[in-house]
Amino acid sequence: MSATASTQIFPSFEQVYQGLASQIGMLREMAPQPTKSDEKRLQGAIDTLIADTNADEAVWLESCIHCGQCTNACHYFQSMQDAKYAPMRKMDLYRRVYHRELSPMRWWHRLVTKPVKLSDFEEAKELIYDSCTECGRCTMVCPMGIDTASLVHHMRSAMVAAELVPPELAALRMEQKHQGTVFGSSPEKLKEMIDTIQAQAGVHIPLDKETADVMVLSSAVDLVANGNGLLATAKIMNHLGVDWTICSDGFESANFGLLSGDMALWKKQADPIVAAAQRVKAKTVVIAECGHAYPALRWNPMLRSGELPFQMMYMSEFLGKQAKDGKLRLRPLDEKVTFHDPCKTGRRGGAFDEPRAVLEAMGADLVEMANNKEYNWCCGGGAGIFLLQDATKLRDESFKIKIREVNETGATAVVVSCASCRLNFESGRQKNHWDKRVESLVELTAAHLIDNEAIDDEAPARGAVQ
Amino acid sequence: MTLLDFARGPAIHASLIILAAGIVLRLVGVLALTRGADLSRPRDAFGNFKGYRTVFSRAWPSSEFNAATVYQTVMAYVFHIATLLVVIGIVPHIEFITSLTGASWPGLPNFIGVALGTIALVSLLALIVRRLSKPAIYNSTVGDYITWIIVALPLLTGLMAFAHVGFRYETMLALHILSAALLFAYMPFSKLMHAFWFIFSRAQSGLAYAHKGVRI
Ligand code: SF4
Ligand code: SF4
Ligand code: SF4
Repeated sequence: MSATASTQIFPSFEQVYQGLASQIGMLREMAPQPTKSDEKRLQGAIDTLIADTNADEAVWLESCIHCGQCTNACHYFQSMQDAKYAPMRKMDLYRRVYHRELSPMRWWHRLVTKPVKLSDFEEAKELIYDSCTECGRCTMVCPMGIDTASLVHHMRSAMVAAELVPPELAALRMEQKHQGTVFGSSPEKLKEMIDTIQAQAGVHIPLDKETADVMVLSSAVDLVANGNGLLATAKIMNHLGVDWTICSDGFESANFGLLSGDMALWKKQADPIVAAAQRVKAKTVVIAECGHAYPALRWNPMLRSGELPFQMMYMSEFLGKQAKDGKLRLRPLDEKVTFHDPCKTGRRGGAFDEPRAVLEAMGADLVEMANNKEYNWCCGGGAGIFLLQDATKLRDESFKIKIREVNETGATAVVVSCASCRLNFESGRQKNHWDKRVESLVELTAAHLIDNEAIDDEAPARGAVQ
Repeated sequence: MTLLDFARGPAIHASLIILAAGIVLRLVGVLALTRGADLSRPRDAFGNFKGYRTVFSRAWPSSEFNAATVYQTVMAYVFHIATLLVVIGIVPHIEFITSLTGASWPGLPNFIGVALGTIALVSLLALIVRRLSKPAIYNSTVGDYITWIIVALPLLTGLMAFAHVGFRYETMLALHILSAALLFAYMPFSKLMHAFWFIFSRAQSGLAYAHKGVRI
């Protein structure tokens, strides 16, 4: 009875996951090798941290009292019980650099500590990439309120300069930097997918309209693997009757600049989307269900978004708003479900109510997990970690926390609203022969739309909006 | 000059100067690092302001974390409160503060002072026992242990001087004052600076999350 089973044009998400898993395996071979000398790599990393450090970072680095409160809040420590995965360890190298380069006591630290070496950065790689999803859960308990996730993010930028990005992320970063695509999701692929959806499902997607109220983004996962995602989005937009479009020069939600820590690529990827939205005079940009695209676009600190003539919304936010306004006409979902807040849109994004409003509009029996909203346990696959082969054990072990939390709710399905979360859930589901269904909010919504024309007789539709 | 004269005079005065200068150096040195503003549009226009709540709300961990944090939190509170009361509440301390500032207030009865000092020392022991027994949770460094010793010494010597155990009373008193001087001089260069940082650190995170409409 899966929501995705109702459309047979595209493979099920189970198959999507399996197909993508084999593609990810190939990324390691495509990874670029370091090009600069060791000295330059080290200096680059240190310079990056110096440039990234302002009073916020300095205060956080100064504040840690080693009280250990954060340790058990991290899903990686909690599941591995290994000291090295404790959140406070993830800022140690940053602090060493800070002490020697920027702290008011630097003359002292230079006297008593050894210079930082490139090998220190190499050793920190596992902490900075494999074992931190930048989920922010540790911040929720830290008596000093230290935002370890932000510090780890700066460390990722340093790792880019040190050419120490893990192979999978490095390969995708290079692809996005040089070809502008992710997994080959080019404008041609977009066109192909749109044509397929038109031909096979009879659903129209207005590509490259000159002007539109709503500009919708897609994502690599949708274009190269999971056609159901884009199909569902189209069905909903058409159901709402909004004036919408997808722009072939600004459609990619995924941002491997953000994930790897490459700020220049982050910006390079965000700029065309902003330009396209301005050109089509969009009032709203809807970001596909791709968790990290939310911080990459909506919360992009480099983007003066207060001055932009449009607002950016995550898919779940957009759907929630439509549901609250009574514009989504949905068939009831007669089942007990729970909702997993993607960290990037939840704790680190603030979109809590909207996805729940959508489930409410379906009359679903929504049961919250013991740790929910701001306190939600990360699924363990975010911030690019889903792609990292070296992080497999960390990911698999930490996912067991999620299994336990979901099981305790007694729900039969868990709804997610982030492609990374969903892939990670699907992986965990298959590996553990877990009896829960994993649903995407947008696909679940599309599957429950009351068709405007077809069902007119029994359930008189209010008609398309606008 | 006796040891006691040295402790009461130059030692404690120098340590107080280091304390004050060190705190200013470290606060100014850190806060002077300029702040690159977050340009993105806040979730609601005046929402960021709510972030300051975190300075107060983080005084107690949320119930989600109870099982893992309650021991540390309770012991830390007992330690901080008992220590603060001893520092400002017992008569000899008040006399010392009066000699520096002129301000004075009534002191606690002796037996309460002793009880509070003992409670503070016991809670400090309870904290170090846990730190030692759960190495993976704490990831302790040499600095953590040095700090613990430097904080424990004034409590220990103070109680010993009061109870007339150990060396001669004057010697114990001198050691007590010297250990306090060590604590003062060490404070700005150690994690004890959290007495100041906690306000900034919590406020910053509170603001950053409030910008996104999240209450932490
Ligand atoms: S941000 Fe999340 S993953 Fe990273 S250390 Fe904190 S709790 Fe762990
Ligand atoms: S909870 Fe905060 S202060 Fe305590 S060890 Fe963790 S990061 Fe440091
Ligand atoms: S994959 Fe999902 S839960 Fe995990 S970090 Fe992203 S958004 Fe967080």
